[in-house]
Amino acid sequence: MNLILSLVVGTLFAGGIYLVLRRSVVKLMLGLVLLSHGAHLLIFLMGDGLIKARTPFVRAETGVAPPDSADPLIQALILTAIVISLGLLTFVMALAYRTDQAVGSDDLNAMTSTDQL
Amino acid sequence: MLVLIVLTALIMAPLGLFARYEPRPVIGWVLALAPLALFVVISALAPEVLAGGRLEQVIPWVPRMGLELRFALDGLSMLFALLVSGIGTLVVLYTAYYLAGDPGMGRFYLTLFIFMGAMLGLVLADNVLTMFMFWELTSVSSYLLVGYKHDYPSARRGAQMGLLITVGGGLALLVGLVLLGNVAGSYTISEILAAGEQIKASPFYTPAMLLIFLGCFTKSAQFPFHFWLPNAMQAPTPASAYLHSATMVKAGIYLLARLHPTLSDTPLWLYTLTGVGMTTMLIGAVVANRRDDIKGLLAYSTISKLGTMVLLAGMGGPEAPAALVATILAHALYKGALFMLAGAVDHEADTRSLAQLGGLRRAMPWTAALSILSSLSMAGVPILFGFVAKEEQLYAAVDNGLPPGLDIVVLVAVVTSAVFGVLYSWRLVSGVFFGPRGSGMKEHVHEAPAGMLIGPALLTTFSVVLPLGLLPATATLLQPAVNAISNEGAKISLYLFPSEIGLPLILSMTALLIGAVLTRFEPQIVAAPSPLPPWLNGDRIYDAAVDGVLRGATAFTRTLQNGRLRSYMTWSVLSLVAVVAPPLLFFGFNGLALPTLDGVEPFEFVSMLLIPIGVIATLQARTRLGAIIAASFVGLMVAYIFVIYSAPDLALTQLLVEILTTVFLVLLFAVMPASFEPLTAPAERSRDGLIAVIGGLVFAGIAFAASSSTELSPISQAFRAESQSQGFGDNVVNVILVDFRGFDTMGEIVVLFIALMGIYAMLRLRPGAGLARDDAETPAQPASPEAPAPQGNGQPGRPTPKEQEAPVAGKGR
Repeated sequence: MNLILSLVVGTLFAGGIYLVLRRSVVKLMLGLVLLSHGAHLLIFLMGDGLIKARTPFVRAETGVAPPDSADPLIQALILTAIVISLGLLTFVMALAYRTDQAVGSDDLNAMTSTDQL
Repeated sequence: MLVLIVLTALIMAPLGLFARYEPRPVIGWVLALAPLALFVVISALAPEVLAGGRLEQVIPWVPRMGLELRFALDGLSMLFALLVSGIGTLVVLYTAYYLAGDPGMGRFYLTLFIFMGAMLGLVLADNVLTMFMFWELTSVSSYLLVGYKHDYPSARRGAQMGLLITVGGGLALLVGLVLLGNVAGSYTISEILAAGEQIKASPFYTPAMLLIFLGCFTKSAQFPFHFWLPNAMQAPTPASAYLHSATMVKAGIYLLARLHPTLSDTPLWLYTLTGVGMTTMLIGAVVANRRDDIKGLLAYSTISKLGTMVLLAGMGGPEAPAALVATILAHALYKGALFMLAGAVDHEADTRSLAQLGGLRRAMPWTAALSILSSLSMAGVPILFGFVAKEEQLYAAVDNGLPPGLDIVVLVAVVTSAVFGVLYSWRLVSGVFFGPRGSGMKEHVHEAPAGMLIGPALLTTFSVVLPLGLLPATATLLQPAVNAISNEGAKISLYLFPSEIGLPLILSMTALLIGAVLTRFEPQIVAAPSPLPPWLNGDRIYDAAVDGVLRGATAFTRTLQNGRLRSYMTWSVLSLVAVVAPPLLFFGFNGLALPTLDGVEPFEFVSMLLIPIGVIATLQARTRLGAIIAASFVGLMVAYIFVIYSAPDLALTQLLVEILTTVFLVLLFAVMPASFEPLTAPAERSRDGLIAVIGGLVFAGIAFAASSSTELSPISQAFRAESQSQGFGDNVVNVILVDFRGFDTMGEIVVLFIALMGIYAMLRLRPGAGLARDDAETPAQPASPEAPAPQGNGQPGRPTPKEQEAPVAGKGR
């Protein structure tokens, strides 16, 4: 299963990279969305294996989470990553909005005036 | 004790800053006490060294790297340490008068003391890495001293040139020393020397020695790196006298002498040093006669003498070590004095050009007398110490260790350089002090202040007095240094006149005679064409190299940093692929088994199939809304994956975030005039597609390798077991977030907060309006052309928050 999910991750990254390379700011943002999905699933695959129906909760009878439950550390990392991705995306949205006001275009090729030697 | 000697000068350095206050000469005298104290302390250690002893002190620093502060004092170190502290005393005193009116004098003293400490550390270090550290510190302090008058472009250029060349050579030196240390199994100099045979047998001997030679040649201004030294004459004269004549430039000679005992008797050593030293000696001697600037003349004569020293260190023979030591001492005495006297002339007459100087013997009688004596010593005229040293050189040259044929060449070269030495000494004295009064000098030239003459006077006195009866004592003092250079028991015996008239004396007198005759043809010699072809001009090559590097860097940066976000992304993705793909292909998939489909439920495939479809739909979407829907669909499927594989928290969060993202995107697209038609040409699209596919494959590979690898065991077991007992929570993920890894979460919140502030700033600030607009007293600034300014422009006063919001909201289309 992890092979198939790896290919899904590759698809997400390929789509994300392609969109990030477009000239339109809007497509850039959609590309970031796909890239973050790909990154989250990539982290997800790094964990303790894909485990079905064994949530990392403490069982009342034993007082510990079962050793064969899903990897909790990976989930914590992804949780952080999801929230940060949202922050990043929102920031880029605000940036795109302001750029559109300043430049009057969402074409990235039109935005080269401040970064040249 | 030895550490204290080094540290005293370094710790004292900030005291130099007091020199910015009056009365400066007094402060100069007080500051000179410090190097004087060092001189006395080192002299006090001398008896033990003279008795054949060797003082050592070790302080462990980074033991695992073999780095330690290990200092040792033997004859060679003592000679250099005495020169550094002794001439240092005189230079500090001299500076007090030379820079009397200069506001930066405190800064000068600060750097000078740092240099003094570094140079003492260099010669006292018994560990090659410690020595290297001080070696580089001398380069840096030399840079600061040459660039002292930093508002002159020529001073900055000279400083930069010296730094680039000596530090570049230093880099080579470091590699060479590390090679040497690895072969010897120790970084301690004494142990490296003890392992001499083992090093010479090693295949690393040649590269290590060549790299070390490179470091020594750049530091000691050997051809073809010599050109930085004349450019370093932009330094104030005290620094030139101290660093660029008496001490720092001899660091390369010191290291060669240090390695001489056991590493020298190979063809590599013999021919490299003989060739380079001889070339430098001749070029320096010839070019010194073409210089009009008296400091330039002295610089080239220094280069010539440094070449002589390298030659003496290289050519072998029983007399060479003694000649080397005598030359080092003689040169420090007369050249230190001459530089200070040249500075005195410059200080009083306001020019250093031989064409503009002349006839100063009446106006500056003391300066003239001292210069004549020291110049006679430089020319090697009998009864001065320079003569004694030159006799030693000739003895060494007559009895050198070179094969027949080459030994005659070296002898002729030494005599030739002696002839030119007579000539440039004569030019210096006659051009400055004799002849008609110079045209370009100040109206009324006075004798230099007494304080500036003390140093040269003392050094000149040594040049005069040492041969008059003190030669046996000098030889006794220098014998330990000779012992440190030679392991064949070479003896130094200095004498004014040999018991019998031999070849050296005849050659010496011949050189004097030819030199005296040549002085009649001075104009022709000065005007003679340069001995070097025009393309071999170090200055020009250096400028071209620096220019080329700058141009190359600019072109490189222009290519990468071209202002287009898309090309940055392209380079980033390609670099990532280039860095990650090869190790992934070679090592990532070793021993991985293809997974089986055992226990896989059909519903697992749903999301796996739907995500690629969603991605393609996002790429293919014709409208913005379609693209948003497709992207959200992908997000929901990711949440579905989290549901299947036991990650309810992730699924919930992903769902929530996906909804928010969609809402934000829809909101944003409502106010942005985004066209959704393809903007790029098909060729560019297929190129980007190719990059994307390669990137996707690499990431798929990473994901598969990471998910299948079992090399490292996960660390989650502790979290599962201790969630309740330590964190008092049943949901392990939550406990990790708020307890086990709480600081991570705090960092996450900080990131979000920063993003929030950025968003707030971007949405609140209108184009063209600065942050200052909230100041009650500041009238509204004129808006930039793009800004819609229905209000504010021309209406003084502070707009209400509601008014501020208005233009932003009104911009929506």
